[in-house]
Amino acid sequence: MAPTSSDNQSLQEYPLVTHSLTKRFGELLAVDTLTLSVGTEIFGLVGPNGSGKTTTVLMLTTLLDPDSGDATICGYDIRKHPRRVRESISYVPQDMAVDVRLTGRENVIMFAELYGVKNPVERSNEVLKILDLLDRADKRAKVYSGGMRRRLELAQALVHNPKILFLDEPTVGLDVAARKKIWEYIRTLRNDGMTVFVTTHYMDEADRYCDRVAIIDHGRIQAVDTPARLKGMISEDIISVSIAGTFTGIDVPGVKFAHQEEDTLIFHCENGAAALPLVKDALSDAGNQVLSMSVRQPSLDDVFLHLVGPGEDKSPFKSSTFRNMMGKR
Amino acid sequence: MNPILVYCKRDLVRWFRGKWGFIAAMAMPAAWLIFVGLALPIRFTDHYIDFVTPGILAMTVLSASLAGGGLLILDRMLGFFNKFLALPPPRESILFGKILVITIRGVIQSTIILIFAFLLGARLYSPTQLIGTYIILFIFGALLSATATTIAIYLDDHDQYAAANAMISMPLFFTSSAMMPYDVMPDWLEPIAKVNPLSYAIDGIRILKTGEIPVTQISILSLLCIGVVTLAVHVFRKVKI
Repeated sequence: MAPTSSDNQSLQEYPLVTHSLTKRFGELLAVDTLTLSVGTEIFGLVGPNGSGKTTTVLMLTTLLDPDSGDATICGYDIRKHPRRVRESISYVPQDMAVDVRLTGRENVIMFAELYGVKNPVERSNEVLKILDLLDRADKRAKVYSGGMRRRLELAQALVHNPKILFLDEPTVGLDVAARKKIWEYIRTLRNDGMTVFVTTHYMDEADRYCDRVAIIDHGRIQAVDTPARLKGMISEDIISVSIAGTFTGIDVPGVKFAHQEEDTLIFHCENGAAALPLVKDALSDAGNQVLSMSVRQPSLDDVFLHLVGPGEDKSPFKSSTFRNMMGKR
Repeated sequence: MNPILVYCKRDLVRWFRGKWGFIAAMAMPAAWLIFVGLALPIRFTDHYIDFVTPGILAMTVLSASLAGGGLLILDRMLGFFNKFLALPPPRESILFGKILVITIRGVIQSTIILIFAFLLGARLYSPTQLIGTYIILFIFGALLSATATTIAIYLDDHDQYAAANAMISMPLFFTSSAMMPYDVMPDWLEPIAKVNPLSYAIDGIRILKTGEIPVTQISILSLLCIGVVTLAVHVFRKVKI
């Protein structure tokens, strides 16, 4: 959890600390008093589109000035020492930006040179090898698949051995196998002592791969914890029931109605298997015909809906992002 | 390797491998040389292609620079710019990289146009005249590319930039001394042409052809260039997304 300001010991231990970080765009409060401490871990910032994830990353990577609050990256204040911050981090934005007219190797060497790496050619070779791109390294990036382009971007980001790696939606637009591969690389990096700060709106990926997750909505952190503990927050089991007719409410001890999505009702309870017949009877008594029922473990989606309720995606759609996701140039 | 050179190398390689951008950028000045330089019925000189070549050279640098501003727009649209801004080198090295690459492009294209003009019958330049011409074109290119890149920072997408581009290039060309000398211009055009930066480059090259050194023109262009580059550096240092 976040340390208090008197807690200097832990401030030094955390490579990334923010305190009341706030950013407004006119009327919109994009990031609202965000306070976080991130250690050497895979830290996931999850939330729907437009919840303030990217704005947070842009502030932490010194691309955007916060309106108030502060943040330190590896001990450097993002406002006072932006250059030091940029030397300690790497940032892979959401848009997949690799130079398609350059070869994979040229793309990486360029970044090695820009980072001032001592031996750019050898170092580029190393990271290309780590990311399994060596056999295609001298082909133009134009022929790379989405997953390979993402890995090429990771190679560019890793070429100077950053202490913190910022990944904004690293798996958007990739197929299942490519996603898994990206996450496996991220895990290896964490195991080697790198802090990885990831934003994603894929709850299942955050659940599976992040050490800790912060759930953000409308710029506010709703909860920060390990995925397991976040899920433990709501209940042991989730019962979902499809019904016909209008749901008017039931009263079964130990079963809590959570929300309704069209004809599907979601209940939280401690022992799903035992509660199932009781819920069925109660619904029948209330005059609802039960079409199907199931018991499952809670997911981060459930936690999210529990914390913020079902909302609608109101963020403006960025056509440029879409075009980049499709790999068209 | 200096980050400015890294950025410059990247854009140059992309340009050479792109092919069409190169060919398209040559088409318009070449067409001007042929259709205007050779075909226009002109009375004030019997060798119009000699007169118009400096104008076409300046036009080549102008269109190369304005097209070059589009490089930054593309970098912004495709997400490269954000990646570059998050890198350690000072941000103005992105600007200087662009100025360098755009100016190099402009000078390469002018060289081809100049050779083309000689083939079409323009009188050859002496080595001193050539060196002077290149100095003028280089300063002029740096001035225009810094301007174009700074405009590109403020505009959101390619369409808007293309519109701004068209709005600047044609009027600038036609209100300069490219097509005709000051003494045959209509009275209303002359004062405009005399403050047009394009005219300074064109007049500079014409003065070189007479064997003199265009001190005034080179000084004014240099001062303008320093002014615009200073402003552009300021804009780049402060840029946020």
